[in-house]
Amino acid sequence: MELFVERLLAGVTNGSIFALLALALVMVYRSTGTLNFAQGEFALFSAFFAWWLVGTGLPVWAAVIAGMVAGFVLCAAAERALIRPVQRKSELATLIVALGLFSGLNAAVALIWGTDTKVMPSIVPNGLEDYFELFGARVYGDTVITWVALAAVTILMTLLFTKTELGLHMRAVADNAESAALTGVNTSRILMLGWGLAGAIGALAGSLATPLAPEQLSVTTMFPIFIGACAAALLGGLDSLAGAVIGGLIIGVVEAMVTGYVPLVGGAMQQTTAMVLIVLILVVRPNGLFGSKELERV
Amino acid sequence: MSALEISGLSAGYGAADVVRDISISVPAGEVVVVLGANGAGKTTTMRAICGLIDRRGSIRVDGVEIGSKPADVVNAGVSLVPQGRGTLGTLTVLDNLRVGAALRRDRAAIEEDIERWTSVFPVLAERVDQRAGTLSGGEQQMLAVARALMARPRVLLCDEPSLGLAPRIVQHLFATLRDINSEDATSMLIVEQNAELAMDLASSVYLLEVGRVVRSGTPASFREDTELRRAYLGY
Repeated sequence: MELFVERLLAGVTNGSIFALLALALVMVYRSTGTLNFAQGEFALFSAFFAWWLVGTGLPVWAAVIAGMVAGFVLCAAAERALIRPVQRKSELATLIVALGLFSGLNAAVALIWGTDTKVMPSIVPNGLEDYFELFGARVYGDTVITWVALAAVTILMTLLFTKTELGLHMRAVADNAESAALTGVNTSRILMLGWGLAGAIGALAGSLATPLAPEQLSVTTMFPIFIGACAAALLGGLDSLAGAVIGGLIIGVVEAMVTGYVPLVGGAMQQTTAMVLIVLILVVRPNGLFGSKELERV
Repeated sequence: MSALEISGLSAGYGAADVVRDISISVPAGEVVVVLGANGAGKTTTMRAICGLIDRRGSIRVDGVEIGSKPADVVNAGVSLVPQGRGTLGTLTVLDNLRVGAALRRDRAAIEEDIERWTSVFPVLAERVDQRAGTLSGGEQQMLAVARALMARPRVLLCDEPSLGLAPRIVQHLFATLRDINSEDATSMLIVEQNAELAMDLASSVYLLEVGRVVRSGTPASFREDTELRRAYLGY
């Protein structure tokens, strides 16, 4: 029973990270209709930046916030300078540019900070004694902070989209950029903002994930997380906030259960599980659990 | 003074101009109709006025030259009801109306305008919380007009508002446009392929052929010309 609860909680924690990065994917998808393959590497760059700042003596929380700001600027700049010029031409070109960003950012991280593994400290007290018990399982600080972060980001994004004028304009641009422009909405600003916010959320995911990751912070840390986040976003329907969160938690728990209970190969099955789920979702339910179907009367 | 004065407007896509040296004047409080066959450049003219494509030439609103960004055009008091309606299908009817007021800061007056246009278009009042994509074509056209009016334009541009609508709905739409024109003195520039109804509202008519204005005059002068009448009014 304790073991089951421990695995469940570990799944929920990994799932929270997937969900955070999936929220970033949804943010980009809703603003420009593209799946940003470089989202995980943007997060990686921001997390390394935060790690570097911690090394200069900045408190961890301040470094994480600075990493989020860096993620915001980096992602917004990429949208304006690299994605937008090719987006008008073709969807495929956008995809290629995103893949280019993926390998470019990864290489940049290796070039600037090296390929050896770093230790990113946790934002909250995370010693051997800093835990509480839940149904007999130990829950540590770095676990709780991911849950809190996910809840906070989900609530803030929901409020942004449903209660603010900015959110209304973001939804309008996502729906039909030209119609939105005709009413005077500054679509250029909205697109950069959408990507920027995704970059900030991704940076948070990256900074919180690395204390949990088995190999800590290295150039390969974000890739498996990105695969999980992709599965989560697809399961949730790509344009649904609630979908990304629920999708992330489901993927996290399924992965943890497969890893924990499938004999012999289970431990090596983590990414495979996410990949198999991605294929299943695309075959069985391409719009995901909560995705909006194309709905139009003419 | 003209509410909207277009002079020497040229615009197109890429290297080639689709419309050349267009000059149209919309007198304050009046309705002007632009006739033309498919491909004559009607929609291109509208898109150029609104800053959706690059343009050359001069566009003045109440004598003041306006900027070339879509937001400048809206700020200057010009709103477009685009061809094919351009409703935001995933947003509710109410949100569509709110987006129409994107550049306004007078919250109380925005709410009043929402009240007003949903009472002018009762079909919208019944469906404020419904997603716009689920509306019928006629309802979406009403919404597109209401959304453009939410910006409180001095000049309303309508690009083929009757396209794909049943005759009864087209009549209702033009009756409503007539009311708005007489109540608010909103000037209108209406582009139409089948323009008999629009001509009833108009004080002057322009004919566009292959990207140029080839003729202009009063509706009566267009109706008297047998050839024009057959070609563009269909009787």
